[in-house]
Parts: sequence; structure tokens; C-alpha cells
Amino acid sequence: MRIGGWMTLGAALLVLAGCTSGGEAPKADGTAPAGDQSKPFKVALLTPGPVSDAGWNAMAYKGLQAIEKELGATVNNQEATGSQKLDAMRSYAQDGYTLVFGHGFEYNDPAAELGPAFPDTFFVTSSGGKTGPNVGAFRFYLEQGFYLAGYTAGLMTKTGKVAMIGGDRVPSIASTFKAFAAGAKAARPDVVVIEKFTGNGQDVAAAKQATLAAIGEGADFVIHQANAAAQGVFDACKEKNVKAFGANLDQNSNESGVILASAIINAEPAFVALAKDVKEGKYKGEVRLTGMAEKSIDYVFNPAMVDQIPVEIQEKIETERARILSGDLAVPKDEF
Amino acid sequence: MGLEFLRFGAPVAFAALGESIGQRAGVLNIGLEGFMLMGAYVAFRVTGATGNPYLGLLAGVVAGVVLALIQGFLTIHNTADQVVVGTAVNLLALGLTNTLFRAQFGKSGELVRVPSLPTLFGPFDAGLILLGILVIALSLWLARSKWGLANRAVGEYPPAVQSAGLSVTRIRWQAALLAGAFAGLAGAYLVVGVAHTFAENMVAGRGFVAIAMVTFGRWRPWGVVLASLFVGYIDSLQYQWQGRSALPVELFQALPYLGALLVLVFVGRGAAAPAALGVPYRRER
Repeated sequence: MRIGGWMTLGAALLVLAGCTSGGEAPKADGTAPAGDQSKPFKVALLTPGPVSDAGWNAMAYKGLQAIEKELGATVNNQEATGSQKLDAMRSYAQDGYTLVFGHGFEYNDPAAELGPAFPDTFFVTSSGGKTGPNVGAFRFYLEQGFYLAGYTAGLMTKTGKVAMIGGDRVPSIASTFKAFAAGAKAARPDVVVIEKFTGNGQDVAAAKQATLAAIGEGADFVIHQANAAAQGVFDACKEKNVKAFGANLDQNSNESGVILASAIINAEPAFVALAKDVKEGKYKGEVRLTGMAEKSIDYVFNPAMVDQIPVEIQEKIETERARILSGDLAVPKDEF
Repeated sequence: MGLEFLRFGAPVAFAALGESIGQRAGVLNIGLEGFMLMGAYVAFRVTGATGNPYLGLLAGVVAGVVLALIQGFLTIHNTADQVVVGTAVNLLALGLTNTLFRAQFGKSGELVRVPSLPTLFGPFDAGLILLGILVIALSLWLARSKWGLANRAVGEYPPAVQSAGLSVTRIRWQAALLAGAFAGLAGAYLVVGVAHTFAENMVAGRGFVAIAMVTFGRWRPWGVVLASLFVGYIDSLQYQWQGRSALPVELFQALPYLGALLVLVFVGRGAAAPAALGVPYRRER
């Protein structure tokens, strides 16, 4: 029993109220052509968690802000999980939104379900495999960044153990962790990869406790997928004097001073480019894979700590980066 | 890990300890989660602004008392339903702390670190020492003092207290404010003693766990603190155990609660909740 349950109930009631009143308004009837210039360009974003998490959700919110600024779109966003997803997406479509972003693979199913009913609205999700004329996805190839972080950790670990700390064990997070493990093993085949999950991305104390447990098992490099709870991971690393990697956003400047490098998503260019295509009527439902070559994914060293990485190790990492960029190395990723 | 689990279990222990006194006076605080969240946020901001984690703890206590005054006005003074008001407090605290956090650190948030409570010896900081002192003091107070007797009587049969010439309302107010102060302290300790930062909804269900711990500890101060630390210990064990086998992590995450349930099956017989728990008292004339 958590507050989340009550929030869900409250939000469900609100959505219900929205649906009832929406019933009197004319529904989307499919007569207006897509990309009609006379209509205001409206873009909505749905996130699985609060956009203030300085991570996965924050990054999408920044992308939405960029769309508002660069394309002059009217934007709106809300948090929606579970059964709220379908209702929230339908509400946006009924309100005449041209583009509805669902920031997570879990929005792909509802998108595929709603697509045929709302031909004037484009439903695009961050990862997910189902497509249609107005249903698509883009898939951030964050695994590339995680692979390089794992590769760095594998080259540098003294204990031979590295750790990954996650919030929810969802397929997208599991896939990045697999890439981190693959990178670490490529650098050092006998490396031990420790994996811990707390069950949510907001419980800072739990993330810290999980990290302490991993460090207790000998890990001396830690990467996370803990969103707002990431500070707990960094705090544990600081207490035990081990190194960490930032994820999703560039967290190198975190005042814990433990972050060697960050595997980041530059969501803004991808979000804006996609919204532009939709606005100009050029978007076809598809899965767009966007990674390092498209500059959507990057792996950046912390300038304040890069001198702690021996030059020959830096060179090895750059070689690996070049192999990824040239396409010689396909970093493993799950399809979900 | 050693004794580090004490720090992670202490927030629930503080909240449960205060709640046990409240419940013994018949005051049920479903809003504990919200109290802790407010205490956490206020402690985070005060510690960040002053650089002093002790002031942060104090500020958390004040936040808890203020929230208890509001809740007490509705439930004790106006005899509103305690469950309904408590639920409203949870929603209020979640919304308020989210809004304030976003107003200060931007809608996309920021990872901020605040100074931590220094450890004095071993893993023990001022918070853990305070927890030890408070559980002894409250046990003695509840069991041996006249006020403790009155507090217990108000939770069992309020008319008896009134006929003895004491004010049921005043005793309930005292218990509610004490429970509020402890809940605020619990949230504050979560920030300055454990997490050293704030995140939306960071209490993550600890308030509800604390309410369960009161039942688990049979409404006795010692019992609820030991119960809380016991569950905290299993929680620290599950983090060490998970990931070592093919068993799903969700199974390990549920272990503390399974452990608590199991213990409850064996120790739960006989003891009963205070008879007037959650029942508003309207003075008989």
C-alpha cells in the first residue's frame, strides 16, 4: 500500500471526469487531414515517473521543452502508469494533439491500440516494436553508452567486480545492464558483475543500501539506472570511496565527486527532429534506432577525473568507441 | 554491512515509536507517510540552507508538529474521520513537497547533496543515540507514570478518563503532537542520516510500514522499535542475497514483509489493539 495507489485512484477519477465531459464534445472524426497547418501543433508527453527525477523522465521533459521552443508547439505533459496510460493517451488524442509521446516501451501497446481510432494523431513511444501508419517508436541505443562504461570499469577494476544498481527491473533497464556487463566482460573476461534492484526509482535510501551491499561484495565500479534515487548510489560510493558512472543525463558534475564518466542520452535533437517530421507530414510509422552515430547517445568522461584514467586505457576506450561508430561493433540490445 | 542496517531501519523505528504512543491514546495516523515526507523535505531545505544537519532534524520535528496541529484540529477538535483526514494529509504532503521541490530545483529536478549527520562512535550518530534514549524514556513514561496510564486509558475507554476528571481531548492532543513530532523526525533522519538528499516520494511507503510495525510490536514502545529494526535487518539481508541466484529479485524485495508476517503469526496471539483506536471522542454531557 503506497501513496502511489491513492494517486492512481485520484488520477483515475480525474480521467473519468474528463471522459464524461469529453463525451459531449465532437470526437476526432478523421476528416481533417494530418499535418493541417491551420490547426495548432499540439504535442503531449507521458512519462512513467515524475519529470523532476534528473534522469530518464527529466530528459524527455527537456525534449518536450525543446519542441515547444523550436517548433512553437503547444505542449502538455503528465505522469501515467498502469491503466492510466491508455486513458491519458486517448484524452490527448481527443483533445486534438497531433503528437503524443509515450516515454517508455510500456506505452507502445496502448499506442498500437489507439492508432487506428485516431488517424490524426501520431503516437510515438520511446522503444517498443509495434508500428502502424501513425504509430511508431524511437529506440535510444543507450546500450552503446553503457557498453563503454562497462568496458571502462572492466579495464580499471582492481577487485575484478563491478556493480549495476537499478530501480524497477523493466526490460529497458535490463537491456542496458546487459550491455554494461558485455562491455566489462569484453575488457576482462573473468569480471564478476553484480546486479541489485530496489523496486522503484524514488527510494534514495534503498538505492544507497543496495549499493552498499554491492560494494560489500567487492564491487569497486558502480553504474545505476535509479533515476531520482541515483544520489543514494553516489552517496554510498562516496562513503566507501569507489567510483561510479552517471546514466541518462550528464551527471559528471555531481558534488559527490565519484563519477568517472556518464552514459548519456541527448534526447532533444531526436525529439525535435521527430516532431518536425510529424509537423511537416513526413513522418511514417516506424521504429527509429538512434544511437552514437546520430549523436543521440554519448559517453563523456568527467573532465575533473579523467586524469585518473591511464592514457593507454583511454586509448583502448576510444578504439572501442570508434568501432561502435563505424558499425564494426554491434552492442547487444534486447528487443521489447 | 555490520550495524549499518540500524541507520536504514531507524526512520521506520522513529515513526512507529511515535505512532505507538498515538495509537495507545486512540489516535490513528494514516497520514504518517505524508508526515515523514514533509519532515524529510523541510529537513532537506533547512540542512541545505544552514549546512547544519542538527538544525535539519529539529526543523523536521517542527514540520511534524505543525502538520499534527492541522490534523488534530480536524480529527480531535472537529472529530472528523481519522482515516479520511490521514489520507488527505498524505496527498497534501506529496503534492506540496513535489511542487516546492520543482519550484526550487526546476521541473526536471536536480541531484543535490546535503551535509550528513556525523557518526559519533561506530555506526552510531546522534539520531540512533536519540532513538535509544527515547524508547527507554517512552517505555517508562507509558508504563510507570500517571500520564502514561491516562494515555493508555484514553485509548481503551475514554469515558473512564473523563469521569476521573481528566480531559480526553487534551491527552489525545498531547499524543497526536508527540506522534507528529516523531514522524517529522523520522523523515528528517531519512534525509540527514541516510539519504543526504531529497527525491519526490522518497519515503516510498515507510510511513505505511511504520503503521504495520505498531501492530507487529503489539503497541509497546520496545516492541515496535525492535520490530522495525528486525524488518530493517531482513531488508539489509535481502540486498545482500539478491542477484546471487536465478530467483527473481522481486521475491527478495518482499522478504522483509514475509518475515514480519511470519513473526506475527507466532507472537500475534492474545494482544489486541486499543479498544478506542480511531474512534473520535465526543464529550458526554
